[in-house]
Amino acid sequence: MKKPEISRRGVLKGSLMASALAGTGSFFGPWQENQAWAQGAAKPIKLGLTCDASGQYGNSGQDDLRGIQMAVDEVNAKGGVLGRKISWITADTETTPATGSRVAERFITREDCTILIGALHSGVANAITQVANKYGVIYLNTNSSAPSEAGENCSRVKFVWDGNGTNFSKASVKNAVDSIGKNWMLLTNDYVWGHTTSAATKAQVEGAGGKIIDNLLVPQNTRDFTAYLLKIQQAKPDVVATAIGGDDIKALREQVAQLKLDGKPAWINNQQDWPDVWGAPDSLFGVFGTTWYHKLALPGVAEFVKKWQATNKEGSIPVPGNVSYNGYMSTRELLKAIERAGSTNNVKIIKELENLKVSATDRMQHFDAYMDPVTHQLQQTIYLARRNTKPTDNTDHYELISWTEPKAAADTDATAKCKLIPYEQVPSVDS
Amino acid sequence: MRVCDLFDLLPHILNGLTLGLLFALIALGFMLIVGLMEQINLAHGSLFALGAYFAMQLMGPRPPFPADLAKAWLALPLGWRYAATLILAPAAVGVVGIAIEFCMRRTYGKDPLYGLLLTFGAAMVIEEMIRLTWGTRDYVLQVPQGVSGGFLFQDLIWSTYRFYAAGIAVAIIGLVWLLIEKTSFGATVKAGAHDSEIVRALGINLTRLRLLVFVFGTMLAAIAGIIVAPIWGIRPHMGVDAVIPAFLVIVLGGVGSFWGAVIAGLLVGLSVGLTGAYASEWSLLSMYVLLVGVVTLRARGLWGKKSVLEA
Repeated sequence: MKKPEISRRGVLKGSLMASALAGTGSFFGPWQENQAWAQGAAKPIKLGLTCDASGQYGNSGQDDLRGIQMAVDEVNAKGGVLGRKISWITADTETTPATGSRVAERFITREDCTILIGALHSGVANAITQVANKYGVIYLNTNSSAPSEAGENCSRVKFVWDGNGTNFSKASVKNAVDSIGKNWMLLTNDYVWGHTTSAATKAQVEGAGGKIIDNLLVPQNTRDFTAYLLKIQQAKPDVVATAIGGDDIKALREQVAQLKLDGKPAWINNQQDWPDVWGAPDSLFGVFGTTWYHKLALPGVAEFVKKWQATNKEGSIPVPGNVSYNGYMSTRELLKAIERAGSTNNVKIIKELENLKVSATDRMQHFDAYMDPVTHQLQQTIYLARRNTKPTDNTDHYELISWTEPKAAADTDATAKCKLIPYEQVPSVDS
Repeated sequence: MRVCDLFDLLPHILNGLTLGLLFALIALGFMLIVGLMEQINLAHGSLFALGAYFAMQLMGPRPPFPADLAKAWLALPLGWRYAATLILAPAAVGVVGIAIEFCMRRTYGKDPLYGLLLTFGAAMVIEEMIRLTWGTRDYVLQVPQGVSGGFLFQDLIWSTYRFYAAGIAVAIIGLVWLLIEKTSFGATVKAGAHDSEIVRALGINLTRLRLLVFVFGTMLAAIAGIIVAPIWGIRPHMGVDAVIPAFLVIVLGGVGSFWGAVIAGLLVGLSVGLTGAYASEWSLLSMYVLLVGVVTLRARGLWGKKSVLEA
């Protein structure tokens, strides 16, 4: 009998087959659908929730989803919008642009979704935007903070709800150049968000009289940062500004903490997402940005946290963070805009969102926020924080050190880059 | 090259070598099962992750023991608990390995793709079980004070743990080599891989032999997970980060070659470490470029056996 032998060819064939099998995971599911359509009732407005459940931003994507669901549940509990319930469907976009594109296409063409919500990774957000553009479907980019999302990749149908790299750089860089030093080094995740965020930081540093001595590009899914940390020590910059996200920043934080490199040089990290912080708060280092914190001493925050906890009892994260907050706020404002528009026509909703103004009280932030009608990015309060050395409980990881008004941190660079198509060129969509 | 440039380069070579030892450690269990059982264990990465999770549970504030035993366990110094965890967690993963090997028995002697599909399924089950048990959040593995933190050398701060992990990798590579090359067990296993019919005819229980090799491979995956966890962090899909370089290392080194895997691990570590410092955007890509280069020039990998077609 011929003995089956394993060969290099067999191993390679096996690996290809395994990759193919892994790739089919998202095609066949898992799908999760929430039906709210009782017989005889008006047809629900169906949302397609494009949230990562795996990959670099899998954890954050699910936190985004929790916030979105909470907003939908609240509205449905009050009878829905325009007398119609809201239903939703979600699928894992896998932190992969190709999957994001495929899921968006399926949601629109086969699941009759007329609005898409959810994003963490800028590449995925941009891929979904292309599909949304084609069909004229409104897309809420809840949490991808690449400046390009409101700049060169902006869209008439897309609205961006997170603070971006330019907002955070404006809030932090000038002060750091003046008080810490002029020699800066950049550590940049090698994809759209990293590049555009570091470009924004570079512009701010040079504008403030500082100098970029090196920019180290970090491939996505890097787990070992030792080579970079050695290089940084050899270059001896005054400040290292990072644009590293997702699982990569978690690994970086662990390694910086292990080496106790968090003192010299000074570190300015762009936004730190709460799901990336939860579980390893001791490794938080440097100064970083956020748009919201569950311990903000502002009206409504404590009530919101309680409500979120009541609806997410089984979740792995016990309190809402900026990601869930953005998911909630964007969905809530969208549904309010539909109500105000008195219609589900996409252009009417877009016009409502373009004129959006939200009071500080409603936003549970320090200042009123407004939607920039030229770039479709929400300009909001930008907070800078550092690790809290005197926490009041086991969730109190941030010490907020400043909050900047939306106008002072506004991304004005995007205005020149963003070219929105006229309304009449947007394909008409009605739910 | 100027002397000062050389001094700048040396830390990166050292970093590459330590990283390479970790890659070799990650690939070791995978290589053993491929080399000695001719089975591609795609669950290797998930078993690697499971080792890290079991260790985290044992080292954490709620060890999986009855109340009295847990209290006594927690009273032990951290170093003792860590040393015991290095044995207990791989042993627990070994039990999972036994279950997988039982399922694999019907695939022996058939097309290796059957075993590959089965272990692929096992990998997905294990990863989802991890998510169900521990959730999607990240964890940190506590390590004794003596091996954490950093030390100053040549004006640079180095990670103590990194060198400890490289030392453990060297020790385990040495022990595995001794077991395979210098013991009668190793000789039997190799004979079984070479000609299972003859080994069975000699009265050796081949079923038990395969079980032992598979469990040994899974325990090595678990040890690698425990050692690498403090550097990479613990999260459900950490296995994917391990199984891809493991695959690459054994193909690069030559399927079934022990020293091929070790040398390939070191080469991959050096290429990732050096490109990380001097062409950082290439750091992950460099290992694949290395693989393509080697396989193009030498199809069987660095130390792979010659095929009949090349004779």
